[in-house]
Amino acid sequence: MTNIREKVADCLVRAGSTFREDQKEAYRKAIADEANAQSCWVMQQVLDNAIVAEERRSPLCDDTGIPHLFLEVGKNRSVSGEMMQEIMEGVELGLRQLPGRPMAIMGDDNARIDQSGGLNPDSGALKPSPILIKPIDEDVIRLTILMLGGGPAIRGITQRIFHKHNVDVVIEEIVNRATPAVSQLGCSPCVLAVGIGRSQFEATSLMMEAMVYGDFSKQTEFEKKITEKVNEANIGPLGLGGKHSVLATFAKVGPQRASGVRIVALRPCCCFEPRRASVDL
Amino acid sequence: MSKIIELTTPLSEEAISQLKVGDVVTITGYIYTGRDAVLPKIVKAAEEGTLDQLGIDLQGSVIFHTAVSPAGVGPTSSNKVEIECTFEPLSKHGVKMHLGKGAISKETVKALAENNAVFAIIPPVTALLGSQTVEQEIVAFPELGMEAFNRLKVVKYQAIIAAAKGESIYD
Ligand code: SF4
Repeated sequence: MTNIREKVADCLVRAGSTFREDQKEAYRKAIADEANAQSCWVMQQVLDNAIVAEERRSPLCDDTGIPHLFLEVGKNRSVSGEMMQEIMEGVELGLRQLPGRPMAIMGDDNARIDQSGGLNPDSGALKPSPILIKPIDEDVIRLTILMLGGGPAIRGITQRIFHKHNVDVVIEEIVNRATPAVSQLGCSPCVLAVGIGRSQFEATSLMMEAMVYGDFSKQTEFEKKITEKVNEANIGPLGLGGKHSVLATFAKVGPQRASGVRIVALRPCCCFEPRRASVDL
Repeated sequence: MSKIIELTTPLSEEAISQLKVGDVVTITGYIYTGRDAVLPKIVKAAEEGTLDQLGIDLQGSVIFHTAVSPAGVGPTSSNKVEIECTFEPLSKHGVKMHLGKGAISKETVKALAENNAVFAIIPPVTALLGSQTVEQEIVAFPELGMEAFNRLKVVKYQAIIAAAKGESIYD
């Protein structure tokens, strides 16, 4: 077994079982600040779950999610085909160790669409999404694994917004899309992941980047405004009411097109997300 | 929030009749699990009177809407048609608590009240639930894999009463 395989497997297990410190702190603060007792109870359960999951290195949720990979490559580093292969093997190993819920649908295109080909019982058979690669200045090759659950994927929206030369127009439309999405998701409190770019692909890539770098303790004015406005709806954790439907917004604004349109990708991440961990390879 | 109410299965008519929306409860003892694939089959067996043959006793029982996978357990949405339509018939056959997540219809809330049964919501806290599950076994329909009908022995699962006495937490 190579070092890279083991490191990647360990990273995947951490992504699926661990809250980062800023995430725990966001929950502690929300619980202290929430008057709705039922809402506090839900958030305390989520936090207790995170503590037990970390101790046992066991899944935060039984929907263990689809691995999404983000690779940062320093300018003096190189990534070989062999390394990519080892990363894929590490993902497979990590899914067995977590263990991930068996979710690989078998069969040809049609059978995978209508799910008639059955389920592969091997947790490791689940393929990760295509890998995103980003050049960085640091002298490092760093892999981040995100485990993305099904509920937020159902509620996510990628669509254009006509900005009318006013940021508030874009914020308002994001809030209009996010509010029902958070309410329907159920597994809240949420984190809103937002990417704004020139095409659907770019916006979604930027949204991924927002989930990779997002920090609950560092919120821009743009992010704060979205969080506050969605929280005005009083949806609350699990929809039970209260002012903490959304704990934070992680947004990444990329280069923009010289036109009246912005493509916005929005994902209402659930109460455990972004489930992520990083490792230097 | 008032103090946590401790419940032990099988649940008595009296224990259920005292529950109201918003109560936080702990559940200890044997509970069943099932979701959209298996619950309609359990309803059919109950109506055909063949539950005994399957080794299932629904009197005073709790049904947790979850799959049982190597990753653990966690609530699925109880308002999926194939799940929510089992609330009334299963309550008639003795189920006292349906445990899952999501808002259910007014008709279902009413049917629960008519049968002195409740709906409770459990957060998707798989690791915590794993630490509170001491036994698990497949009882019926093993061919459904993760969606088979299982029996778990649990210690102090926490849940919140979401529908009782004709009222809903989402009203
Ligand atoms: S939305 Fe999140 S918390 Fe809910 S079941 Fe999916 S992964 Fe679990």
